[in-house]
Amino acid sequence: MSLDIPQLIPQLQGMAQSAAEQAAELERLLPKAEQALDSCAMIEAQELMDKILRAGSRWRGARPTDESINTIFPPPELPDSFTVIGADGSQIFTDRHALALYFLINIGSIVVAHGSGEAPLVASHPELFYEQQDLYPEMMGLISSALVSGKRDAAEMAELARLSESARSQPTLALLDNGLLLWITTQELDQPTAQVEIIKSDYLRGMQAIRDTGAALGGYIDRPRTSNVLRLLHLAELPLEAINDETLRVHPYQHLTDRMLFARRLPPGHRSSRFELLPSNQDFSRAGHSIQFFYLHTGTQDQIARVEVPGWVAENSKLLDLTHAGILEECRVTGMPYVLARAHELAVVSQSDRQALERALNTLLLERGIRSEISQKELAKRWVRSGQRPSRRSSLP
Amino acid sequence: MSEKAVLIARVTRCSTRSFVGASRLPEADVPTFGSFCKARAQRGQSEVIGLIYDIRIEDDEMARQIAIAADPSQEQLADNRVSRLIPIEISCLAVGYSSQDGYAYALPPQPPMTLDDVFALSRDEVMAFTQSMDFVPLVFSAPGLPADELLAACLRYSAEVRPQSEQRAFLVEAGRVCARQLAGDVARLDRLVRNLAP
Repeated sequence: MSLDIPQLIPQLQGMAQSAAEQAAELERLLPKAEQALDSCAMIEAQELMDKILRAGSRWRGARPTDESINTIFPPPELPDSFTVIGADGSQIFTDRHALALYFLINIGSIVVAHGSGEAPLVASHPELFYEQQDLYPEMMGLISSALVSGKRDAAEMAELARLSESARSQPTLALLDNGLLLWITTQELDQPTAQVEIIKSDYLRGMQAIRDTGAALGGYIDRPRTSNVLRLLHLAELPLEAINDETLRVHPYQHLTDRMLFARRLPPGHRSSRFELLPSNQDFSRAGHSIQFFYLHTGTQDQIARVEVPGWVAENSKLLDLTHAGILEECRVTGMPYVLARAHELAVVSQSDRQALERALNTLLLERGIRSEISQKELAKRWVRSGQRPSRRSSLP
Repeated sequence: MSEKAVLIARVTRCSTRSFVGASRLPEADVPTFGSFCKARAQRGQSEVIGLIYDIRIEDDEMARQIAIAADPSQEQLADNRVSRLIPIEISCLAVGYSSQDGYAYALPPQPPMTLDDVFALSRDEVMAFTQSMDFVPLVFSAPGLPADELLAACLRYSAEVRPQSEQRAFLVEAGRVCARQLAGDVARLDRLVRNLAP
């Protein structure tokens, strides 16, 4: 271990003290936020909409839906038999120190037919990308990690779509271990636009394919740190004419999270009302997949998850109930959806997997007369990783 | 038609006398006590032949979580029994090595290296390796192993891979070799020979 823990002890003590003080402050704020939730529910819908419009397109709050914002919903009944599908992805990013330039995406998936008593269907689909057009999209240099992650997200959605098609015969819930908004589209990054568009188009096609099968689709976010609902509460408290970037930026609930608020409101198994996600929802809305979300007490140890669903699930009571009850059933034993834990296990590419892959690649390259080696830097890193010794470095006084 | 080599582990630690490999496998592929395996050594110039003397099922948090759950679903139980890969660690005694000249029944010049693949020996390879019983003394001389049970299991399996007509002769010859090794301990020899019976 190279980290000098004794040297860090005073800082760790300071960190613990700060966390305790912050927790006390947040505890003081939470009743106010709860009160604000109830007050906001009393405001006329049109008045609130006017305030939301005034906040503008850059405001990152939640918009209420047809459900009153302080209503809580008990766990719905589950069908006797239903199917839950989970998909998750893992990747090896391009590495200029590696044996060769490539990237890999591995998608793990699982289909559980609840009520069948049968072992789930599991799969793992790895794909290697090594052609010049894969590595250098639009001639803008080596593909970025963000684009590889975007391709992985689209592949996860495609896998859910493929598996939903084969489960058409009974109620089906397809789950992703993430929010449903494609991450790369929410980032203001210097990415090749055409590549992002291709990824977005693939992703939305997958969502549409799932919709066409009649399955529900949900994105499960464990321990969310978002505060979209709290932003709405702050906005609701402001007079219309006082709403501007400055008053929106600083608000009394800014160190709280929606999770903390709903942990006080939701009994086990219950969900909050639905909210619409703003503002990065336009592309999805245009394609018929506007994203809504709710908070859910998963039933174990005060765990509050955020669940994102497309509008066509949110506004279909059967699909929404299946999403709510299906996630609860999935969380019953493992605290998070079992299918997502397993899909992750099936997808993850370990360090030893990567080394085995590169050994196989090296053999095949040698067979073709190509002698390729990892960089000296990577080699040196492997030496120290494989036999780390205690540091002899002395601590500073 | 030759069998496809089954990868059962990757080497995690090793010495000239033995090596240990770890892996996650479906239940059907978990190797058995007393079966043979091989791992590449000397940069592929030789293969160390191992005799599996210990198989450990490693700790698995997911399985533990399901085991202690009040009411896991039948599908989750089935998933863990059938589909999930079982984390195992296998310990292998080096009982010989193969090179271009054929099999040698001695400790290998070099052990396999970390993360080298460990494959199960195919039935043909088991038959070829056990044409000679010269590996038997290496098993008896290995300290701290259940040598008698290990040999009995390995020799029984080596007989089973042979045609029915050759099995009895193979076991009789195995008994003779063991008798030479255990000449001074008739009671132990008696137990071992009884364990050899199919």
